[in-house]
Amino acid sequence: MAMVDVRDVRKVYRRGSEELVVLDGLSLQVEEGDFAALMGPSGSGKTTLLNLIAGIDKPTSGQVVVAGIDVGRLSESQLADYRSHNVGFIFQFYNLIPVLTATENVALPLLLTSLSRKERRERALTALKVVGLADRADHYPRQLSGGQEQRVAIARAFVTDPKVLVADEPTGDLDATSATEILELMETLNREFKKTIVMVTHDPRAAERAHTQHHLDKGVLKD
Amino acid sequence: MRYVPYLIKHLRRNWVRTTSTVLAIALCIFLFCTVQSVLATINSLLESSSANRLVTRHAVSLVFNLPLAYKARIEGLDGVKRVSVAAWFGGTLPAEKEELDAESSSSTTSFSNFFPNMAVEPEPFLAMYPEYELPPDQYQAFLQDLRGAVIGRKLANRFGWKVGDTFFLESFIPPYRKPDGPFEFVVRGIFDTDEARYPGTDTNMMLFNFKYLYEATGRNLGAGIYYVEIDDPDRAGEISQAIDDLFANSDAATHTETEKAFAAGFISMAGNLALLLNGIGLAVTFTILLVTANTMSMAVRERRTEIAVLKTLGFKSAQVMGLVVSEALLLGVIGGALGIGGSHAIMWMLTHAPGLSDALTGIGLSEINLQPLVAALGFGVAELLGFAAGFVPALGAYRARITDMLRTV
Repeated sequence: MAMVDVRDVRKVYRRGSEELVVLDGLSLQVEEGDFAALMGPSGSGKTTLLNLIAGIDKPTSGQVVVAGIDVGRLSESQLADYRSHNVGFIFQFYNLIPVLTATENVALPLLLTSLSRKERRERALTALKVVGLADRADHYPRQLSGGQEQRVAIARAFVTDPKVLVADEPTGDLDATSATEILELMETLNREFKKTIVMVTHDPRAAERAHTQHHLDKGVLKD
Repeated sequence: MRYVPYLIKHLRRNWVRTTSTVLAIALCIFLFCTVQSVLATINSLLESSSANRLVTRHAVSLVFNLPLAYKARIEGLDGVKRVSVAAWFGGTLPAEKEELDAESSSSTTSFSNFFPNMAVEPEPFLAMYPEYELPPDQYQAFLQDLRGAVIGRKLANRFGWKVGDTFFLESFIPPYRKPDGPFEFVVRGIFDTDEARYPGTDTNMMLFNFKYLYEATGRNLGAGIYYVEIDDPDRAGEISQAIDDLFANSDAATHTETEKAFAAGFISMAGNLALLLNGIGLAVTFTILLVTANTMSMAVRERRTEIAVLKTLGFKSAQVMGLVVSEALLLGVIGGALGIGGSHAIMWMLTHAPGLSDALTGIGLSEINLQPLVAALGFGVAELLGFAAGFVPALGAYRARITDMLRTV
């Protein structure tokens, strides 16, 4: 059974009387433990598809099943639970909370668990160690480089041990060296921690790191 | 509780804005607590007024005296039990030598130790004021000594005066001055009061014989006011009208009202003081509500991305809304605590600072303090203010869609 199973999904945005079809009957499967790259030009629907998988948006029609959960049928509250237990999201611009240290940022999703303060900190430090930033645990985002910020963001994404990691152009705001480091880290998470990864990217070199590549254009899969 | 460190970190993000918001709330609560405490003290004073006592004064102003002959005519009215002439003496202790040197003025009196003092007719006045409890022997001594004075317990404690002590007072009201210097008084009695039976009764005052004032100033004085005791409080309006009708066409027309109305007018010159102060308080509170609401809106608008991130991480909309409201409530807690503390401090200063405390004593507000109920109400207002300011931005955060908020990055 696929970890991510997108079946005949349509996503339509309405602006007044105008309808904008972003995804048009798209189907896609990502197996458990896979590292999939979604590619395509701007406006092709990559990020919308990623948002549907991450449970931060709902399809207009069709089904999005992740880890056996039909995401489209969940209420807003159930979607929040789904996101906290099943999905780790990596943003293009890291989106760390500037007033929190690296450890506090990583521990943020753990506030939703029953872990004690000490346990949350220990887990966050472990995650930071995995991404190679144990020595920057008490640094604030402004004291970190772009690559380091993204590594903290990745630690935040997997600290709750989610089934799926979704990344929206994770190297889009980084220089080549930092981008390579981030992609290596994601490979490690996929290989050693068996995380299923779905990554949106424009960068062919980033896509080459993935096991499977899917190309979208005007809301449909081309491959 | 696990979110408190997170909230505090957010409040420290823009400390200038946080500080100014907290100070705005603190100012509001400070005003609320101070105004309500003053009003509570005034109400307490008014409640110590008896319903069966009337006060008759000159219709034009308290400044003008009434003929002494009025007393007998008022006593003759149906329903009047007894009448006492009274005059607000306005006496102050002679200035100390150092004070005279410092001021280098011609004044020979000191207002730094001012306290209420009044010339009355001892027998009828003390008969209609059972709240002033004087031992019988001291009462007799007071009646027999023209220079005698009775003082309240608080006044006695304040100056360390005891029965038999002598002191001098000089009035700042010219007709009540005598050419050969200040009036000499001998303490003939110290009165107490039963706080349970007569709450709000002030014992920081002094009474002496009107006859002493009358004789010493050349027998040329009238009555400042008349205290009139009546049989039936329900007839207060009718008897007041009857007294005023009696002198309606004379040179000195009268204005008679209940003691409570007189006290309210004397303290504040208006029964509308509460309305005025509450109105000011309400306007300030509303203004600060707008300021705080604007601040919270700005804070939430600035953090749209963070709110989107929190929701993406799995925080429910209600939890995000709770965080925003809690942040506003935390501002209310800090501002409220500062406001209450400030109010307590200013009242302590007012009642302990030399000069200021005497000025308050002069208008009967020597007991002003922050009552626990007022402090609790002030804290409640601060929280309400925080909640009201935070609710709308929080609702916006609750309703906002993650994709919309991320798109604005």
